[in-house]
Amino acid sequence: MNYKPTIIGFLCNWCSYTGADLAGTSRQKYEDKIRIIRVMCSGRIEPTFVLDAFRKGADGILICGCHPGDCHYHEGNYKCLRRFHLLQKYTQQMGIEKERLRLEWISASEGKEFAELVDEMSEKIASLGKCMVKETLDTYR
Amino acid sequence: MEEYRIGVYICWCGTNIAMMVDVEAVVEEIKKLPNVTIAKDYKYMCSDPGQDLIVKDIKEHHLNRIVVAACSPRMHEPTFRKALENAGLNPYFFEMANIREQVSWVHTDRIEATRKAKGLVAGAVKRVVHHKALNKRYVDIHPATLIIGAGVAGMSAALEIADSGQKVHLVEQCNQLGGMVRKVDLNYPYLNSSRQTISQLIKNTEEHPDIQIYTESKIDKISGYIGNFRALLSNHQEQRELEFGNILIATGLKSFDPSIIENYGYKRIPNVITSADFEKMLYSGLIHCENGKEPGNIAIIHCVGSRNENYHPYCSRTCCMTALKYINQISSAAPECNIYDIYADMRAIGKDCEELYASTSKKNVMFLMFDQQHDLPVIKQNGNGKTVSIEFTELLSGESIHIQANMVVLMTAVESQANNKEIAHLAGISTDKNGFFIEKHPKLDPVATTTEGVYIAGTCQSPKDIPDSIVQAKAAAARILATIAKGKVQVEVTTAQVNEDICCGCQCCASVCPYSAISYNEDKKVSEVNEILCKGCGTCASACPSGAIVSKHFTDNQILSQITGVLEMQIETA
Repeated sequence: MNYKPTIIGFLCNWCSYTGADLAGTSRQKYEDKIRIIRVMCSGRIEPTFVLDAFRKGADGILICGCHPGDCHYHEGNYKCLRRFHLLQKYTQQMGIEKERLRLEWISASEGKEFAELVDEMSEKIASLGKCMVKETLDTYR
Repeated sequence: MEEYRIGVYICWCGTNIAMMVDVEAVVEEIKKLPNVTIAKDYKYMCSDPGQDLIVKDIKEHHLNRIVVAACSPRMHEPTFRKALENAGLNPYFFEMANIREQVSWVHTDRIEATRKAKGLVAGAVKRVVHHKALNKRYVDIHPATLIIGAGVAGMSAALEIADSGQKVHLVEQCNQLGGMVRKVDLNYPYLNSSRQTISQLIKNTEEHPDIQIYTESKIDKISGYIGNFRALLSNHQEQRELEFGNILIATGLKSFDPSIIENYGYKRIPNVITSADFEKMLYSGLIHCENGKEPGNIAIIHCVGSRNENYHPYCSRTCCMTALKYINQISSAAPECNIYDIYADMRAIGKDCEELYASTSKKNVMFLMFDQQHDLPVIKQNGNGKTVSIEFTELLSGESIHIQANMVVLMTAVESQANNKEIAHLAGISTDKNGFFIEKHPKLDPVATTTEGVYIAGTCQSPKDIPDSIVQAKAAAARILATIAKGKVQVEVTTAQVNEDICCGCQCCASVCPYSAISYNEDKKVSEVNEILCKGCGTCASACPSGAIVSKHFTDNQILSQITGVLEMQIETA
């Protein structure tokens, strides 16, 4: 059987979550192992959420926000971007491959793009295999 | 400690969810979770009996938390919150799992989709126990309205609002009112004069004591929130500030430039003109070629830039009927002229439009169909310099057609205004992939936007004709008047809050707040949130190094518990 990675998606309410809903209303099909968690703004996404999701067994984390300049709260996505770069450096030092943590911009009209993004990310992570954070930490517990 | 009694409801949505998700299996699994008092499935949770079920169970089983797994919370979260309220429960003791738009409609493996639904519901169950009661807040509504764009939509809305005695600020970037309709000679289907139609509207708008008109003006900045907006408005002389409670955007659209379509040779071949050029000619009262002579043969080509992935994928809505209008106008002004109408599909939508098509087909016109997707006609200039030839395959007969014409009218598409992005950014709304503004809900709420207090009307939302623009404008006006009549409006309650015991006064929060809603209290040495200004994005909560800021309804606890629920179920049921 093909291994399919579990991905947690953190999506902002105004653009990306709406975009993901549009994928639904337009019946775009994508990998079913993604679990979406809604936040009001990508600026709300704390490093803790990402690390916690890896700790609890996620193989990948996808953060989506509005395109630059389109943020419902003007600049939350820029704040998210700044944190993201630091966070990715940190997760890489922990041995988590770069591809497992992504930040992408999805607008409310990009249902198709969202579906393609999930498939593409899922495929990439599948080639890396399972993320070992949970198992490693459970062993040392 | 509070005892949690959660009621969980899984919606079938007819077959929409039930076809791809085994809702009964989800119910069985969820029943096993701690704190779940009851779990049920039902055909349509959003229906009255569905909502009554929740109300009844809350009362009978003393439930204090509710989870509904159904469509997107963007659709029915307000519906279910209301049901909780009706049962006397705080509406924020509610969480929704999206198992339609983000499960049943996007997946094809029923087992995996069911597993995913279980996970999402488990996440919601884990989250909802951390929900806190939040109380509604209201703000006063400033009774004035800002309307951007003084076309037929903007003026209609302005009059509707001003006629009820409320003040309107009407801002227009051009030096006169009237928008696109002012550039049209006659309008379909009754072939009345557009200017006559619109001149009364312009006159009433200009003379209305409660409408303040600002022509050749633009908005530089909008701040505030529903009920209490402010804008900076400038023209070439001065800048001024306006205060108002609601915004209506009615900025219209513009014509597509067909010179990028190689086949048609616009701007390259003489006597190939756009519908806008032809309107001007009709208005001047003389149909003529570049040499000043009346054309003997006129060809009209439809769908120029519309309904083609290379240009615009959408239908521009008005061009087919406008082409029929041209045929009528040409037939009466130049009865000897032969007309070739080269169309892709004749779209005669709207009252009396099909009738116009029927009566027009009796004129001196030949309708020829072409393949809009794969085989656009080719226009070539003839050696004589007087005529052009049009070559294409006629779809119905399958024959290759050569037409000699003295003039070609391109029914050009319409497209969104170039500065829509800027306006969207100013007002805090979004544009779709074609640059048109996005409505709050495509079916249920086509005049509001996702930003409270900001409405859209007319062709800035999508191409439409005059009556449809006016309908939308008046609907938006009614919505705005309703908030003014009420005097107060409910605002965001999911704001940020500082726990003063933990706050170290570093002010990281204040530096990231886009609304300057956070200030520093020098006496207490802590940050404070102005809840009127706060819009609840939660960026400050993520920035706070000591965890002193709580982003209400999106707290760390709530989100971390949701992650736990989603992932536990994922791993256990795998």
